[in-house]
Amino acid sequence: MKQKVFSQERRKDQWRLISKPDGDIADVMALPGAVVEAQIAGRYQVASAVTPGTVIIQGVRRKGILAGVDAAIDREAASEHDVDVACQPRGVRPAETVNLEEMMIEASDEFVSVPTDAEDLACILYTSGTTGRPKGVGLTVKNFLGEQQSSEQALKVTPKDKIIGVLPFFHVLGLSNILLTGLVSGASIVLVPQYSPANLLRNIMESRPTLMIAIPTMFVHLLMLLERKRLHLPDSIRLCVSGAAPLPIETIEAFERCSGCRLIEGYGLTETVAACCLNPPDGLCKAGSIGVPLPGFEMKVVDADGGKLAPGEVGEIAVRGAGVTAGYYNLPQDTAEAFRNGWFLTGDIGYQDQDGYFFVTDRKKEIIIKGGLNISPREVEEVLLRHPAVKGAAVVGRKKGEREEVVAFVTTRREVMAKEIVSHCRQSLSSFKVPDAICFMETLPMSVAGKVLKKELMSGYKDERKIERKDDGLGPAD
Amino acid sequence: MGLVQPIEAWAASTPDSVALRLEGKNITYKELNCRANRVANGLRGLGIKERDRVAIMLPNIPEFVYTLLGALKLGAVAVPFNTLYKGGEILHILKDSGAKCVVALTNFAPMINEIRPELPALDKVILTGERNLLFAYPGSTALIQLILQGDHIKDIDGAYQKIGRILLRIMEEMGVKEAWYKHRGSIRVRGGEKIATFVISELAGVALINWMVFLGPLDTRDFMRVIRMPPEIRDKVVEPMTSVQQETGRMPVWNQFKETVVAAIEHGFQVEIKEGPMLENELIAYEKLRSIACKAR
Repeated sequence: MKQKVFSQERRKDQWRLISKPDGDIADVMALPGAVVEAQIAGRYQVASAVTPGTVIIQGVRRKGILAGVDAAIDREAASEHDVDVACQPRGVRPAETVNLEEMMIEASDEFVSVPTDAEDLACILYTSGTTGRPKGVGLTVKNFLGEQQSSEQALKVTPKDKIIGVLPFFHVLGLSNILLTGLVSGASIVLVPQYSPANLLRNIMESRPTLMIAIPTMFVHLLMLLERKRLHLPDSIRLCVSGAAPLPIETIEAFERCSGCRLIEGYGLTETVAACCLNPPDGLCKAGSIGVPLPGFEMKVVDADGGKLAPGEVGEIAVRGAGVTAGYYNLPQDTAEAFRNGWFLTGDIGYQDQDGYFFVTDRKKEIIIKGGLNISPREVEEVLLRHPAVKGAAVVGRKKGEREEVVAFVTTRREVMAKEIVSHCRQSLSSFKVPDAICFMETLPMSVAGKVLKKELMSGYKDERKIERKDDGLGPAD
Repeated sequence: MGLVQPIEAWAASTPDSVALRLEGKNITYKELNCRANRVANGLRGLGIKERDRVAIMLPNIPEFVYTLLGALKLGAVAVPFNTLYKGGEILHILKDSGAKCVVALTNFAPMINEIRPELPALDKVILTGERNLLFAYPGSTALIQLILQGDHIKDIDGAYQKIGRILLRIMEEMGVKEAWYKHRGSIRVRGGEKIATFVISELAGVALINWMVFLGPLDTRDFMRVIRMPPEIRDKVVEPMTSVQQETGRMPVWNQFKETVVAAIEHGFQVEIKEGPMLENELIAYEKLRSIACKAR
């Protein structure tokens, strides 16, 4: 030990500085004072050795992570990349906060639930919308009960079911169609708090679920993993459902072939407490379709005046039913604009076929208008994705003077010239739809539901994550 | 009929059937219901009533389910939101919903603390799980810890203000222009890039104030390779950051930095600080803990 132990006698009002110009991450966690004396029954106890009025200054010698005991760290990767990992002791509580576990231990486990009315708000969910600021969607007890009934019937959930809970519960699909549908039906939920393809697959193999509801990216990742490992999914799975973002038909086919499981696509919104439309699990599943309305929901395609369109005609999809929100929280204007004659306007553009199946073609807000002509970003993206070098594509409109330009953001499998991609587009798109600019990206910004966050690609995007300085802040002059 | 009654009915009719399963451990319907009851009682004890908004910022862990059901049992309105949201977004949701309390992972405490003064309705911050992550990079990170007895920290708001001022002074001495401090925890530059951060914690009547100052650019790539997180959302985990070197064009000299810090603390607290080694009992505790941390690797 380099440090000398010296007299403990010192003046009461005198502060001490202990400095270590270079320390590694284990030093960081073991700084005196923060410290602990012994490990008792898996928990740490505070040392009596803390010396008030101590300042410790330390630099860092090695790359390291100081992690809370519940943090998910890949220790193999850590040693591979030469990152030290040290554990932080339990029991240090940020000032002015309540600890949930302590609160629960002190409370009684008997409680008589407060009676609620059907119209009472149960949840406010903020739409992680791909454009604009998150809006609070008010969802009532009636909305949830309506949706639970619809999805329970459509998916035939029983107490024998075991459902994979990998979609975040803060997202409407995870909250409603997995967690609440599962618990209301008496089924079991397998919690997967940290998503990674390998972690999901391990959970599936170990728990042998019967039902899996997830998003397209997860099915794509799972497919790649199954192919690489030459595995099938367990035969306990009776159905896989994909929602929250469009699922390419090639993915459905490849996934079903490789996994041996049926995969159907559904459709829903935060405003409909998740699924309102689904390809029938036992009936005809149409390629590229989001299926037919769930029991308890009605859907139609409308024109700009709210008039119902005939099958095959493209317009905005509208929905009504017990599961449809009464409106946005504290936003009467937005609420009024979202409804017409009791029908909720989804903002999704699409059509219905002769058999009553619905198809979504675009988001209304994302349609690009160039020289008075409408361009579907989805159509351009599909063409881009057919180029062998293109891995991911997102097409947005960018204002250039008075007009809008078509800008394609792409991720690629190999190096490719923009010229080559443009000429590929020319082969299958009318000239006004061909991207005016190709931007190469390392990754596309994605939401947790696997949707490309187009707002982040548009010009004038403001990073909402930042905390802004307001007048009440202190500056150098204060 | 509400949303929780069917779940209570399962707890009564099939108490031992499995409601939740996490890493091979089962939580039965009866256990789930009891724990949700505990949350409902606990929230009520904190003053949460019917129709109050209870924000939930948790991943898919059992505590999410206990909190959701507990809030619903109480007749409160649950506001679950994305665990990847950062300061500005969290502020918007908590403010817009008028949340009276928020239940979050411990690692979000500094961020929530920072925006708390702008949320008059937010009365309680309830924390669970120990998922804090602190990333230290050679040449980039300086760690400062201040250990204070209770009398210095009776007024937490005052302590946050004081440390904020001290850090601003340090930034000024080091030539960082346009540094600002709003409240509680982060020193930012210009549009909001973080250059230093601190958190005040309590431990047995003693306040631990941990500061991090970013001296040089922080390379987060290796860090991202090590934490388990899907690649598409990794860039959303780290806040926009900067460093003294990026702001001033030169890397601070370590000894000067140390002297600046000591002088600023002496000025801020009106004390004299003497350099010295650890005391015997501190050293013993330190060595013990260090060996635990190393074993945990």
